[in-house]
Amino acid sequence: MIWKIARKEFLLNVMTFKFTVSTVLCVVLVAIFVPVLADDYRQRLSQYDLHVAENEAKLRDVKAYRVLTPMVYRRPQVLSVFSQGLEKRLADSARIDFGTRPDFGHIPVLNAGPTEVNPYLSIFPAFDVVLIFKVVMSALALLVAYEVVSQEKEQGTLALTLANPVPRPRVLLAKLLAGLLTLAVPMTIAFMVALLLLIAHPLIALAGSDWMRIGGMYLASLLFVMAVYNAGLLFSCLTRSSALALVFALLFWILSLVVIPDASVYLARRLRPTESIDARDGRIAALREQFRREGRAQRATLPKSGMANCIEGPFGGRGHWYVLICDPTEAERWKQSAPLEISLNSKYAPKFRDIELSHLRSLLRQTSLAKALGRISPTCLYDNTMSALAGTNLADFGTWTQRVALYRENILAYIRNKTDNLRSPLFITQCTAADRRAYLESGWSDEVVKAVEKRTRPLNLADLPRFTYTTGIVAGLRRAAPDLFLLFVSNIVMFSLSFVAFLRYDVR
Amino acid sequence: MFCRMVRKEILENLLGVRLVLSLVLILGLFTTSTVIFLDRHRGQMDDYRRRVNEDLSAFRARSDQLYRLAFHKHQVYRKPKVLTLCAGGSEEVLPGHFTFDGFEMGLPQIAGQSNFTLPRLGELDWTFVISMVLSFMALVFSYNCICGEKERGTIRLILAGTAPRATVLLAKYVGLMLILAIPLLLGLSVSLIVLIASGAETVRLIPWLRIVGVVLTSFLYLSILVLLGLCVSARTSRSCNSMAKLLLAWVVLLILIPSLGRVISDRFYRAATPEEFVRARSEAERQVEDRLSSGAYGPNAGATGADRDDPNINPVGRARYTAAWTEARNRVVDAHHHRMLAQAEAGRNFTGLSPAVVFRRVCEIWAGTGLERSKNLHRQIRAYQQALRDYILQEDRNDPDSLHLFFDDEPRLRDWMAISHRPVNFAAVPKFQERDLPLGASLKLAVWDIGLLALFNLVFFAAAFVSFLHYDVR
Repeated sequence: MIWKIARKEFLLNVMTFKFTVSTVLCVVLVAIFVPVLADDYRQRLSQYDLHVAENEAKLRDVKAYRVLTPMVYRRPQVLSVFSQGLEKRLADSARIDFGTRPDFGHIPVLNAGPTEVNPYLSIFPAFDVVLIFKVVMSALALLVAYEVVSQEKEQGTLALTLANPVPRPRVLLAKLLAGLLTLAVPMTIAFMVALLLLIAHPLIALAGSDWMRIGGMYLASLLFVMAVYNAGLLFSCLTRSSALALVFALLFWILSLVVIPDASVYLARRLRPTESIDARDGRIAALREQFRREGRAQRATLPKSGMANCIEGPFGGRGHWYVLICDPTEAERWKQSAPLEISLNSKYAPKFRDIELSHLRSLLRQTSLAKALGRISPTCLYDNTMSALAGTNLADFGTWTQRVALYRENILAYIRNKTDNLRSPLFITQCTAADRRAYLESGWSDEVVKAVEKRTRPLNLADLPRFTYTTGIVAGLRRAAPDLFLLFVSNIVMFSLSFVAFLRYDVR
Repeated sequence: MFCRMVRKEILENLLGVRLVLSLVLILGLFTTSTVIFLDRHRGQMDDYRRRVNEDLSAFRARSDQLYRLAFHKHQVYRKPKVLTLCAGGSEEVLPGHFTFDGFEMGLPQIAGQSNFTLPRLGELDWTFVISMVLSFMALVFSYNCICGEKERGTIRLILAGTAPRATVLLAKYVGLMLILAIPLLLGLSVSLIVLIASGAETVRLIPWLRIVGVVLTSFLYLSILVLLGLCVSARTSRSCNSMAKLLLAWVVLLILIPSLGRVISDRFYRAATPEEFVRARSEAERQVEDRLSSGAYGPNAGATGADRDDPNINPVGRARYTAAWTEARNRVVDAHHHRMLAQAEAGRNFTGLSPAVVFRRVCEIWAGTGLERSKNLHRQIRAYQQALRDYILQEDRNDPDSLHLFFDDEPRLRDWMAISHRPVNFAAVPKFQERDLPLGASLKLAVWDIGLLALFNLVFFAAAFVSFLHYDVR
């Protein structure tokens, strides 16, 4: 009997105008925009490949360990086509920098903040497949659900149905099944179209783990539309007129789609304010000034500086230079200054790290609160699940930054190992003691400089640790699990409430 | 007859649950938006004043010598406005921090970037409440205006009278607009009362005429949604189908089309990447260097010795060379900035297919926020740089010891006394102050978009009229 009622409901739904329009709209939007989004991903990927290749080329040109400050890039996620999340708004590169002296700060210099190519485009909301689903499919779910009970009552067919020896729970279960089947059709078609277009796109390849993630996304999408459907069903069971059910359902839709996500962010800002960037920069500037003062005092105790010929390293930037050749006085100064600098840096590095980390943690705490507050809306739960599965959420970014920090430590350990804990002149120059003497005796002549320049070869960095980062499917599923579970629970709760309301429903 | 029909329409809706729900929702949202605005605005004003004072103190410190004025790095931030309550214009995510001196200006940065890890949300301002929530209410009020009467059988009775269909349609339209005016005007009044009762200092500066502009534009916009509702209602026989169609239209017009701006502008109107920008600037600099090498700026134009009487020094050539260098850099920066703005505008022009986008754009122009403000601010800063340079040159004419050569090279201006070293009266020095566009200029900017809204009205009214004329009331 359940199947018979479900089939009848399903056929009725499928033949409606709203079903046709929503399905066509959803599929057409997916068909138009997946190639555009895929192309956007491909552009970002080629940009990433270009940056990585440039970085490798620069590494081949490093002639002193002091300028071994490579860049690390975050690979764009192919599933950002489905859920862009924070992909385009968080840092996509980090510089493994050590300040002007090694050990300065433990946090890699991230391009923190929005990495928009054009910041004026921030006026537009992000567009991805999730947006299409959460707007069009949720609207369809409500439009299918609001009349399931109340309209049957208006038409008088509900009394006829219940006059048969069918218990009410079975009728409601059949209606749930019919809703699931009705909504699964456009969802499945849209997913298949999106996947076909993605696979057909040249230069885009989906790995095995991507398929598992896509499976998870499909499941999450079904759970989401069913949660909205169950909400519509609840309003249909609570009201006697389908028009009123529709009004309530639409209010729920607006609240869930627009008001709650926005309000959660406002509330989080209000309840858990963060330190302003100006204040953080002020604290860093004050500490840096203290650091400089102490550094100046230390340098005053060093022997007088000599003559040196310096060259900018391949990665460029302020303080990014190495010594091509210097006279013995300058070499002696470097030798004496290294231990002093190391001790000074070791003293200040944790202080800088604490300021930056405390600021970052306060931002993350605020975001976590906004996320927690938003969880009363199925749309937020769906967004969280999809971005976690796509690898474009904050947790993925956090893991990437941790890896970068670890990589920085590895590079530093590598440099220490190669330069006798930064004491060897190799850290800053390749010139020998004989070169230095010749440089002094020649009166800092250009010929000596040119001879040394000719002899200065790029360092052999074959054994340099390389940065690797991949997001595992297990991590993705673990991150998505709480929100996926809550989506499931919201389905159960909504259906239970509908069940209770339907049991008490007056069909007269 | 017309008045009676309008009254009937109003009374029908006055007693319905829809109006109560809209009133609760709209009043709640207007009040919340105002409270949030006031809370944020106070902090923003404090920050703004602190920054302006810091900048002014640093600028004053440079008034001990005339030439030093030109090299003060101004830090200009967008001034918080009371009208952001009407239309925030996404200013929180738009670049609004300008750094410049008398010669150069960098690309504007995003000011006061708060928590970049938070989801980006729509601003809860008047335009949001009106364009999203009240527009939805307009559809909820109008979806069963005609087909609902058909379902109940009352439309036949009405049309059996002497009133022509056009009068019936017009009466329904006017009735719905008056009903929608209740939550809109009540919401706006509550918002303004909360604003005034807060005693905030900015309240004294409320530009009432601009607010009237926003209110009139809101009516024009809501009228489109009402006419759309009437049109769809007159094309369907069941009110549920009408609501379904309207909901889909609302989703497409108000959510999907506005979201396409980025995709479209990224796809069809690409701005240079930061790397390309740096390359273009380096190329422009290289061309100036090449001209220097070829002697285009005169002999020894690159020389930088400390003594201006040294025969190996050519101050005039140096001034020409430096001016060319500054001009080349400014040209690249301006072109890049212009291109970025044009890309955003291209996306927004495309999304102008949605009345909500046009409405927000008009409200932003009335409020003096959004992209237009960014463009205006950029123009004002360029004009200020020119005014500052003119002032320095004018003051410099009184100093016979000066070479009267003004270029972007502070050490040379100091060592060669290319510009006077005399102290200046700081009160007379031009200071940057952001000015709003005059009301007339705002109206001129908004007139096309207002025309577009009027066109939407006309099209939907014609569609509703034709649909109702053909409507089968049986």
